[in-house]
Amino acid sequence: MLLPDDVDVSDESLPLFTFPDSSTRFALVDNDISVAEFRPLDDIDRIIRLDVSSGDKTGDVVTIDGDEEDVFAIEVDGTTIEAYRSRLTSGGRFVSLDDPADERVELVNLVEPVQQFGPRLENFEEVLIDKNLGRSLTNTVLVTIVVVSGQIVTSILGGYAFARIKFKGRGPLFLLYLGSVMVPFVVLIIPLFQLMLQVGWLDNLSALIIPFMFSAYGTFLMRQFFISIPVEIEEAALLDNASRWKILWRIMVPLARPAIATLATFGFLYAWNSFFWPLVIINSGNPDGRVLSLALSTLGGRSSTDLNLVFAGAMIAMTPPILVFLFAQRYFVENSASSGLK
Amino acid sequence: MAEVTFRSVSKQYDGDGPKAVDSLDLDIKDGEFMVLVGPSGCGKSTALRMIAGLEEVTDGELLIGDRLVNDVPPGDRDIAMVFQNYALYPHMTVRENISFALEVAKVKKAEIKARTEEAAEMLGLMDYLDRLPKALSGGQRQRVAMGRAIVRSPQVFLMDEPLSNLDAKLRVQMRSEIIQIQRRLDTTMVYVTHDQIEAMTMGHRVAVMRLGVLQQVADPQELYQRPANLFVAAFIGSPAMNLINVTLGGTAERPTASFAGHTLAIDPRAVERYPQVADRIGSSVVLGLRPEHFSIEGDFDLPADQTVEFEIDLAEAMGAEAHLHITLDVPVVELDGAPVIAEDGDDVSTSTTSVIARIDGIHFVRSGEVVKLGVKTHLAHFFDLDTGLPLN
Ligand SMILES: Nc1ncnc2c1ncn2[C@@H]1O[C@H](COP(=O)(O)OP(=O)(O)O)[C@@H](O)[C@H]1O
Ligand SMILES: [Mg+2]
Repeated sequence: MLLPDDVDVSDESLPLFTFPDSSTRFALVDNDISVAEFRPLDDIDRIIRLDVSSGDKTGDVVTIDGDEEDVFAIEVDGTTIEAYRSRLTSGGRFVSLDDPADERVELVNLVEPVQQFGPRLENFEEVLIDKNLGRSLTNTVLVTIVVVSGQIVTSILGGYAFARIKFKGRGPLFLLYLGSVMVPFVVLIIPLFQLMLQVGWLDNLSALIIPFMFSAYGTFLMRQFFISIPVEIEEAALLDNASRWKILWRIMVPLARPAIATLATFGFLYAWNSFFWPLVIINSGNPDGRVLSLALSTLGGRSSTDLNLVFAGAMIAMTPPILVFLFAQRYFVENSASSGLK
Repeated sequence: MAEVTFRSVSKQYDGDGPKAVDSLDLDIKDGEFMVLVGPSGCGKSTALRMIAGLEEVTDGELLIGDRLVNDVPPGDRDIAMVFQNYALYPHMTVRENISFALEVAKVKKAEIKARTEEAAEMLGLMDYLDRLPKALSGGQRQRVAMGRAIVRSPQVFLMDEPLSNLDAKLRVQMRSEIIQIQRRLDTTMVYVTHDQIEAMTMGHRVAVMRLGVLQQVADPQELYQRPANLFVAAFIGSPAMNLINVTLGGTAERPTASFAGHTLAIDPRAVERYPQVADRIGSSVVLGLRPEHFSIEGDFDLPADQTVEFEIDLAEAMGAEAHLHITLDVPVVELDGAPVIAEDGDDVSTSTTSVIARIDGIHFVRSGEVVKLGVKTHLAHFFDLDTGLPLN
């Protein structure tokens, strides 16, 4: 990564730049100030950029390309010259590191950043604290943990019931439940939004959590896995006088670890990366309600110049899914359910 | 410990389907080793699973001790079962597998440990207590399954073909171990197998089933010597009893049996056991001869009219004995329109009957040779051709 080298002026770390005419390094002390571009009357092609407040109108008027322009008296390198103001724009104020009195105003994209190759851990701090990504991270972690644990618990209970408990209408109910997997989420957005509106969960993390704690896909996955566990294992437990509840948690769930790991991983990735629904539900003016994906998109918007911070944010967002995947993958291949049989 | 009583118990899996168990009446005594035997699909597992409470009783009454258990859930019946595939808990160690039931019953820790180790000791599992089932051999898994049953000191042990996944040698060894354990614990045992040798060697009594119907319950000796019908006669014994379609001739005092050009005099002692034979002169019946009822010339002292010359298709020398295979040109004996024991891989030909004679191994017989065999007809069995019932 190429990052501007930094210097500490007071407590803040500031990016450094050089101007084409000298090797002196300048710190960008003010970004986004209003800049006026002046052109001297005796050398119309030259551009002098100064703070908007500088220069005084002389009261004279000059005609350039048919337009009348006010004449300003500006000071350049200690001498006063006459110039007209061709444009107002925004730029940065730079201060020389060698001579604090040497202050320049220039468009940020016209100066050369001083580049240094290497990691800059401060980015993480900045993005987490200054950009409020810390709060978004907390929100995402909270939402993800609750959604994934909810999905696991409800899928285990539902899957077990569909697999092993006989009740009236089990088949049709299961088909109906499974059929809901076929409905694409986009179709559900508006009804779900209206529902959230009625329940009063707009702009609230509950709307990101509660509707997603139930998973038809997860229920299906768990049911298929439970069905594949030999029924004799459960019958042996029944004869050992274990209750249904005990059989579920002591026998079936430990055996279903691979399926649970799969479900947890997919649930985690989905919840962690979900973007569109939070975008719909969470007001853009409420940074405390943002989840990571929303915060990142704000950070990396069209006019973003803080690419370093975007990358730091992206790193933060990427790391947990990678860790989860590495941790869970050994369960994907493991299948211990049949090893108790001959 | 308790007795198990079936009173006209039936089981139907589907409302309109066939009965997997049909009006079963069976008294299993306290401490008895009862074997249920029969070909695959005859309903033995179903009967066993009804005792366990894993299948509902469609009709009739099932008692354990004096208690009617038709509607008692499995866990409350105080029985232990060993499954054919062992059904060990794969994620639990041997110790945890054995102690699970005690844990569920909230037995004290110290007692759990003591009882688990006592069971493990009895089965030689002490060195494997901390292993998972997948790290055990087939025989060891089988033992863990037994340990899980033993540790509970249940009223009744149920075993569903527990040895069928073991190799032949281990099977023989486990057979005697199970017999010893049952004798030592003196707990009622219901043991299901399709292997009649297992049934004969293990059971105090053996219940033979066919198509959901109980055929005969008796001790192994009785079963062998006085089969209640054609099916039991054919099913018990290895090699099986030879069943031959014969026509009775001669006189009521000295009847003869004719088949495929041969005529055999029947010893009066057989007629004493099967008196109806005297009434059936001139008609067709089923003659049952066990392989050991034949002997080769030189080994017998039988009248000439009890000897027959046979051409030997195949002579199998097995060391101590030899099996002589003979094909007779008479239609095979059928029960309900099919050969009595139809096993996979059997010759499908029903127009000829194969007979096996067992002779002493010291005799040297070549395939293709014609030999004179004596027949101990005083031991012969006779059955009705249509009903399969004995002519006694
Ligand atoms: N769960 C079941 N549902 C329907 N039919 C069954 C079921 N279990 C067994 N049967 C049928 O009941 C009959 C007896 O089966 P089973 O008791 O398992 O026989 P065995 O153990 O003697 O081989 C068979 O015809 C079998 O197909
Ligand atoms: Mg069976």
